[in-house]
Order: sequence, then C-alpha cells, then structure tokens
Amino acid sequence: MILTGRSVILAGRPIPLEPRAAATALGREIASMPRGLRLWFAVLLGTIALAVPAALLALPPGWEVLGTTPTFEWGLLIVGYVFFAITTSGLCLASSLGTVFGIERFRPLEKRHAILALLCLTTAFGIIALDLHYPIRMVFGAVLIPSPSSPMWWMGVFYGIYLCVLVVEVWSMFTNHPRIHQVTCTMAACTAIVAPATLGAVFGVLVARPFWHGPFTAVLMVASAFLSGTALLGVVFYGVHRLRLAGAERAASLAIPSIRLLLSLGLVVVATLVGRQVVAGLTSELPSFREATELLVAGPLAWQFWGLRVILGLAIPILLVALPATRTPVGTFAASLLAIAGVFVDRMTFVAAGQIAPTSVAGNVAAPFAVYSPSLVEIAIILGAVAFVALVYSLAERYLDLNESDAHAAVTLPVPSLERIRALLPARRRPAGTGVAGGQAVQDPGAGVR
Amino acid sequence: MPRRRRSRGPTAATPASATPASAAPVMAAPAMATPASAAPVMAAPVMAAPSPELPVPAELVPLADLAPAITEISVSRRRFLGFGLAVVGGLTGAAGLSRFFPVFEETSSAPPPIVPAYDPVGKAWTFVVDSAACIGCGLCVVACKDENAVTEDGEFARTWVERHAVTADGATYVDSPEGGMEGFPSTSTAPGAEGKTVDSAYFEPRLCMQCEESPCTSVCPVGATYRTADGIILVDPRRCIGCGYCVVACPYGARYLTPAAEQSPNDTPGIADKCTWCYHRISRGSLPACVEVCPVGARKFGDAADPESEIATLVRERHPKPLDPEFGTRPRVLYLGPSVEEA
Repeated sequence: MILTGRSVILAGRPIPLEPRAAATALGREIASMPRGLRLWFAVLLGTIALAVPAALLALPPGWEVLGTTPTFEWGLLIVGYVFFAITTSGLCLASSLGTVFGIERFRPLEKRHAILALLCLTTAFGIIALDLHYPIRMVFGAVLIPSPSSPMWWMGVFYGIYLCVLVVEVWSMFTNHPRIHQVTCTMAACTAIVAPATLGAVFGVLVARPFWHGPFTAVLMVASAFLSGTALLGVVFYGVHRLRLAGAERAASLAIPSIRLLLSLGLVVVATLVGRQVVAGLTSELPSFREATELLVAGPLAWQFWGLRVILGLAIPILLVALPATRTPVGTFAASLLAIAGVFVDRMTFVAAGQIAPTSVAGNVAAPFAVYSPSLVEIAIILGAVAFVALVYSLAERYLDLNESDAHAAVTLPVPSLERIRALLPARRRPAGTGVAGGQAVQDPGAGVR
Repeated sequence: MPRRRRSRGPTAATPASATPASAAPVMAAPAMATPASAAPVMAAPVMAAPSPELPVPAELVPLADLAPAITEISVSRRRFLGFGLAVVGGLTGAAGLSRFFPVFEETSSAPPPIVPAYDPVGKAWTFVVDSAACIGCGLCVVACKDENAVTEDGEFARTWVERHAVTADGATYVDSPEGGMEGFPSTSTAPGAEGKTVDSAYFEPRLCMQCEESPCTSVCPVGATYRTADGIILVDPRRCIGCGYCVVACPYGARYLTPAAEQSPNDTPGIADKCTWCYHRISRGSLPACVEVCPVGARKFGDAADPESEIATLVRERHPKPLDPEFGTRPRVLYLGPSVEEA
C-alpha cells in the first residue's frame, strides 16, 4: 500500500481519496464486476445491514434483547464466538503442516489461511464484545488485573497473542519477510493448539455443568477446531478452483486433495470423541450428566444432534471423502460445507446440553429441562458475522494477490534438478529432440520452489 | 546456502554477468514499486548458488515475482515498528495513568470493610435453613428485594423459595412461581404439572451458599467477584464485565445478570448479582433482611466463631448439612429438614 497525496495505491490500483473521485471510481469498479459478483456482494451487504441494528440493540447492557435467561445464560452469541475462535485455530493447525513442518503438499494453504484466520478471529472478538455487557472493562481488566485462576482470562491472553501473531504473519507475508513469517507461522501453530484447548478449559473446569466438565472437552475443542478450519479451507479452495481464481491449478492438484486428507482425519477424530462423550454421559453415575446426555440424544436436542450433527455433519461427509466416486473437488466441497455446518451445530448442542439439565437459577425452576430460543437479534448478529467474513474475504480475493506465498522460498531452497538445468541450456548444447516446452520438468513452473 | 530477505536489492548470489537482461531488476525495492516497475521479472533472486555459466532457470522464480501485487502492498518496517511501539507505549501509558486515576482498585489487598468500625477478622458467619419449618409465605423474598433494590420481576431474585410438591398422582414436582414472592397456590405451577393438586410439600429457601471453595471467584476473568476477610463473596459492580461465566459456574444457581430495570442492585445493569447475606447489615451488627422477617424462624444466621451463639449451638446439636455436597464447593449455608434428609 502506497499513500500519495491524493490517492492510495493498493495492489497496483490507484484509489482516489477525494470523495467525489472515490465515488466515481467505486461506481466504475462496481460496473466492471461480473453480475454474479455484484449479486454476491449485494446479498452480503444486505445481511450486514440487517445485522448492524441488531448489534446496536445488543450493545446497551441489560436490555434483554437476547434470548438468554438466568437458567440458560450462554446462548447463540457464545456459540458463534466459540465457532469462529476455534475455526481460526483450525485454519492455522491445517496450514501449519505446510508452513511449519514443511510438508510440500500443504503449502498451497498458506496465504489464504492467514487471511481467513485473521478475519475469523476479529469476527469472534466482535461477537463476544456484543455478548459481554462491558467489553471495554474486559480489555483493561484483563491487562491491569490478571486473574490467572480463570480459564477465561487465559483464553483472552492466548487469543490476544494469537491476534497479534496473525497480524504480524499477514504483514510479513504481504511484505515478503520470510524469516519473520516463518517465526510467526510457528508461533501461530503453537497458539492454535493452546488457544482452543484453553477455550475448552473454560467449559471443562465447570463442576456445576457435568456435561462440559472434564479434560475431554479441551481435546474435543481442539479436534473440532482442526475440523472446522480444514472444512473452511475446503469451501474456499473449491471456490478458487471453480471460479478459476489465482492459483486455481494448484488448488485442484494439491490443495483440494490435501484438504480431503485432513478432512478425513478430522471427521474420524471428532466422530470418535463425540461417540465417547455420549457413551460417557449415558453411563455416568452423575445424574445431571446422564440427564443432559439423555436430553441430547433423546430429548429436545435429539433432532439437532442426530439429524444435523451426526448424519449431516459427520456421517455424510465421511462417506463423501471415503467413497471413490465422490473423491472429487465437488465431493470435497460438499463434505467441507457439511462438516463446517456440523461443527457449528455441534457447538450449539454442546453449549445447550451443558445448561439444559433441570436446575433452578435465581428463582427460575427449569423443569423438566431449561429452554432457550435464540432471539432475532442473536440470529441477525450471527448471520452478519458470517456475511462479514465472506465479504471481506471476497474483497481480499478480488483485490489482493492470494496466490501461494513465496515467503518460504528463501528458507527452503530447492536444488534445481539436472533435467531442469539441461532444459535451460542453450539450444546448441542440448541433445536433439529435447526442449524447454517438451520437458516434463518444466510443465509446472515454480513447483520446485514451493 | 545464502539466506537473505529478497527485498533488499541485488543479491550477491545472482551472477550479474550471466543474468539475462530481464532478470537484472529483479530486486527492485518493493516499496517503490509502481505499475511500471511491477512488470514481471523472470529470475530467481535467491537460488542455491547456481553455476556462473548457467542462466538462472526461469521456472524457479518465486511466485511473488510473478505476482507484482504482493510486492506493492508493502508497509515499511519502520512504520510497522512505529505502530507497534505506539500501541505498546499507549498500553504502558494507560497502565501508568491508571495509578493516578484508578480505573480499577487494587486487588492485592482485601477491600476495606463497608463499615469502618467493623472488624471482619475471626468471624465465621454461618447460615442455617430449616426446610421443615419454612411455610413458603415468601416474606423473605419480598424483604430481600426491598432491602437490596432487586427488580420486582420474579425472574430475578437473590433469594427464592422452592416448593417440592407431591401431587395426587404421586409424582414430585418442583416449582417456584415468581420466586415464591407471593406465596404458593394449592395447585402446582411446575411445567407439565400445572393445575395438579398438591397433596404434600416442603419449602426450600435458597440463597447464595457463600462457598469456601467458590467456583464463581476462581472463574471470574477480571477479579470482579471477590471474597471478604470474613468469607462473604461480593461482586464489584465497577469491575464486572457481564460475561455470565460465574452464572454458569455456580452449581446452586444463585447468580443472575441484572436486567436494565427501574431498580437494580448497585444501579448497574448487565452485571452479575447475587445474595450477599446483606453484608451492609451484618457488618453493622444487624441480621440479614430475610432472617429478620421470617415469621417462623426457618432462617438462622450468626457468627459460629462464638461458641455460645445460637447458630453455633444449632450447628453443634442438630448437625445441619449442605445441599449437593458432591460439587465439592463447601457451602456455608447448611440445611435442616427434608431438603437434606431426602438426599
């Protein structure tokens, strides 16, 4: 980005700063967009426009515009926060395989994951700010008065560090600082494990909520993070492949198969952990744990759990990635979409099952179970958050070069193969019948440096 | 193997003599890039020291050189560091300023007592509830709301009364209409049992248990929930962020987030609130409001550190028990009667 007196140059495009010229340029830019893209942006902007008044209504403390009650204090906004926060971690976990561990086939995930991770994390913070009644106090309170006994404080610390690391990572990627990028990628990968584990601990330490309580909550949170991050990459890279965006060839040949592999892994691990959770709950000696699990699998949450979570969110995606007939980009896309929706539903049922057991809070007796219905304000905020991520990412995809980063090129230098060197020799030194265009080694330019 | 940042001018590893003309400007400073200078350049800046007589293979060019947009979006390191320093400086300055203009009070020492003459040290405040004696009149709930400016809305209560009723069909239901504020009708109001005639029942007054191992204090991310020297757990309304973590952490359901009502405790909506055992009264030597108004003496309160006190005698002789001891929070409200006999 270059700032001049009257314009800013972004990705080679001069953007005027003077209002009238900017409006003209914007109009010209919108007119130049394909019709489908214009419609896409219009839908996203419309959704955000609905979410803005909802967010303003949620800001004043104590207005009771959310559907939460004393017996069901954490609702859809907490679900949204957890979902976006763990997705951030999952994105870094998935991409760290290429960035940190140097596995070549995962390299194409690098740049897009960083943009998405930064977007998801800022969205998560935005949602939690709307859920908290005094978010400013949270920022100052967490800095000035550390409360190390609270997992929520640690969660704030780790996700705060995460945000800083992601900002530096994106900066280093776009400004071509490979060493800084490598260090921040490694830090992001470490934080990507610690942060969702701490988020799991926020729920896991609560003895009062047996469904949440226990070490497996943190494990499930990390596994869900991995799954949702991978699934989001699957959705995005299918778009890259389908719309022939930058790096489309590598999306089809490398990224999508890699995502399919990671997706399979994530789905199986999460399915195992969900199964363990249900079995542990149904056989528990703690009445409230057993009741909560029964309400999950055979009560008011059953259709969400079996229909959306297990069948649509786990079983069908597993089939899609396992069956040879659906091992295609479309199959991976469908599996990713279902898997990410499944993780969202999983977070919903998880948060609900922890609070649904019969209880009484501040004079409210919730029997035979606590009831919660999200309000329109909450639904609008969540839809707006999704639209915000989609909009900003679409803008980034259009106006930034999100092709694979070469930030690691200087770190992991390849040795040029003999064939490549021979292919580049002057024609008189080459054996007859060989050429640059005819050699297999030069059909994928740049493959050696990735 | 030379490892360099690629944005720092021509590298020594690139043999100028053997480099084709198109490769020469490959290291143009990205910050100065313009659309003209951003034309694709076809040489690898950092290679594994290719032999001088060989040209740099074009297919090994990093993608950034083929995608000039990357290099155009460059914020200088100086500006980035400057921004970082400004943020760090701002936070440090805010921390320093907070010493002079405290946003939050220090938590290192216990907060001062509400009543200066009150000495909290050595107190062992204990609350005993006799569920066999309670008649469910709801006077305690009304007195609490009046004393502590709790909203009239029955959904929010610092103390409430639950009725454990057995209906004609032999089933047991728990209800608490309006927190028991207006007493209880002769029929059940529990979901699924509305209108069923109550055959027998006992009443269980509920309030904050002031647990010795209180989860609400340990989970609070900003230290807004704290314990006084005499063991009472209070909420600092200026510090609470309204996250609701303590509400879901309390196994006894004693907390709620205050609504924006006409009257609310501490005049701060959206923060956590709960029973304080009327700390402003007990530190002045009075009884909690609910204890004072109870017509049947179902609520007993006192300092168990005094062996001659009524509460100490009650604890010693009748052995009241806590509710739900399996949570391991060591509640300091103890119960007599069917509440703990059934368990």
